[in-house]
Amino acid sequence: MQSNNLLRTILGAYTGLFILFLYGPFIVMGILSFQAGPEGGPQFPIIEWSTYWYQHVFGLTPPSRVAPLPIGEALLRSLTLAFATMVVSTVLGTLTAQGFRRNFRGSGFVFYLVVLGMMVPGVLLGLGMALVADQVGIDRTWWGTAFVLHVVYTFPFAFLVMLAIFNRFDKSVEEAAWALGVPPGRTFRKVTFPMIFPGVLSAMLFAFTLSYDEFPRTLFTAGSDVTMPIAIYGTFAVEIHPNIFAFGVLTTLFSFALLSVYGVLMTLSVRRAKTAAVQEEIA
Amino acid sequence: MADSTADMAAGTAHAARDGRGFLARHGNYLLLVPGVIWMILFLVVPLGMMVYVSFWTQTTFSISSDLTLQSWITFFSSDTYFGALLRTLKIWLYVLVLTFVIGYPTALFIGQVVRNKTVQTVLLVTCVIPFWTSFLIRVLAWRPMLGVEGAINILLQKFGLIAEPIEVLLFTELSVVIGMVQIYVVFMVGPIAFMLARIDESLIEAARDLGASTWTIFRKIIFPLSLPGVVVGAIFVSVMVLGEFATASALSGRKVNLLGNIIVTQVGSLKWAFAAVIGVILTVIMAVVITGLLRIVNLRRAL
Repeated sequence: MQSNNLLRTILGAYTGLFILFLYGPFIVMGILSFQAGPEGGPQFPIIEWSTYWYQHVFGLTPPSRVAPLPIGEALLRSLTLAFATMVVSTVLGTLTAQGFRRNFRGSGFVFYLVVLGMMVPGVLLGLGMALVADQVGIDRTWWGTAFVLHVVYTFPFAFLVMLAIFNRFDKSVEEAAWALGVPPGRTFRKVTFPMIFPGVLSAMLFAFTLSYDEFPRTLFTAGSDVTMPIAIYGTFAVEIHPNIFAFGVLTTLFSFALLSVYGVLMTLSVRRAKTAAVQEEIA
Repeated sequence: MADSTADMAAGTAHAARDGRGFLARHGNYLLLVPGVIWMILFLVVPLGMMVYVSFWTQTTFSISSDLTLQSWITFFSSDTYFGALLRTLKIWLYVLVLTFVIGYPTALFIGQVVRNKTVQTVLLVTCVIPFWTSFLIRVLAWRPMLGVEGAINILLQKFGLIAEPIEVLLFTELSVVIGMVQIYVVFMVGPIAFMLARIDESLIEAARDLGASTWTIFRKIIFPLSLPGVVVGAIFVSVMVLGEFATASALSGRKVNLLGNIIVTQVGSLKWAFAAVIGVILTVIMAVVITGLLRIVNLRRAL
């Protein structure tokens, strides 16, 4: 038993180091984003602590040799694209998962066809789509060719989440509604949907974040109006400055805000479900 | 299986009872149609197109649909491209082994040592949080870590472990491997921890009561039962690493060219047929890797 406790401690300490490894670059990025500007570079030591690069991201600093990040429009495009992808892939995922609730011939084929969408590397899909667009003669745009690929990528995630939800779902409630003569559409709205809502929310969260950060699929298919990740990739070629780190910190905060909204909605929906259950019990 | 047969029977009985004809009988398929059409049009067709174009004739400025093996011959007879293939395989193997070796103990801690579900979730979420920063920015953040004047060198020098800064840390294959391991290791930890947490504790207790040592328990019970997680993790990591190019171009100063990087360059210079050849080669490698990994365990039965 003695050696077992030692083993546990070692594994625990190791996990601590592992988490440090995951967060290392992240911490360095946070520190360096407060580098003095505009002369300070993206490395140690910190010349002087300042919020210069944060102001630089928002275009509040006087013009200097460091060009402002080409965000703004790109950010707006990315958010729009992520939103559209989220809506379409959640709808597709829910429909397909609903279809899988009954066994049918060819279910294996459809399952693998959908899951393939998240397995194929983005660069191949981007290349294939660019070739198709080139041959068919359609322009490559972020709202067209890039959008459909984003859905190909996020729809499988939504589908798997919804499949897991439907698997745990008590069918008899729905059947009771049908038996009582409630039309299918109304049953879905009033019975099924509230029960699967947490799953829908997770699927939406997955789709939004994956699409928002999507890069290899977009690179060949977005055309000249770029999205946020492509704009950042553009800065790879030239010298990097701490403004990219300041921007990274800001986007992370934004992600946390998004996660909090998800958390609040989730808690609310669980609480509402609980209240409903209690009321039922009283009645 | 019995469950799904019952489902099907219930479904058929249901359709027969209300007898609404076509819609009731085929409504199920209608639900699937939008998703399937989407995937065929935007997933199968582009991949098929890629295979087709890899046999087209490429001239300097244009491409024509006359079928030829020229691009394939160019690929395999060029040292640069064939070298990139070998380098991709090498880096993939390093990253795969390292993510497993580095990730497994953490998964073991999360899945086996911590038996509290809440703590397990908190630890996993802690591992996932870095993913909330843009992938590209996370890659870039390795530069100030690894450089000659980077954080690691500064720390090591401060502790007196090294006299001179280590130069091989940045803009080498090593930096690409380090960056990829950090980015993808979580995809290994997650599935393994999931499988480990599902192991029935009474199994381990029984083994211990029968006098098995910790090492025997690990070797005979814990590791075999975690294998499906390892395979799922390995598939995730392989698929992502084999298609990688951004990490390589950010952390190697464009010195390390993987197959993905070559695709990007070729598309940039409108050499579509050639890019397609590399795409097909990548697809084949990936198919072989996944099939090989699936040979190890039967995932459908294990999960």
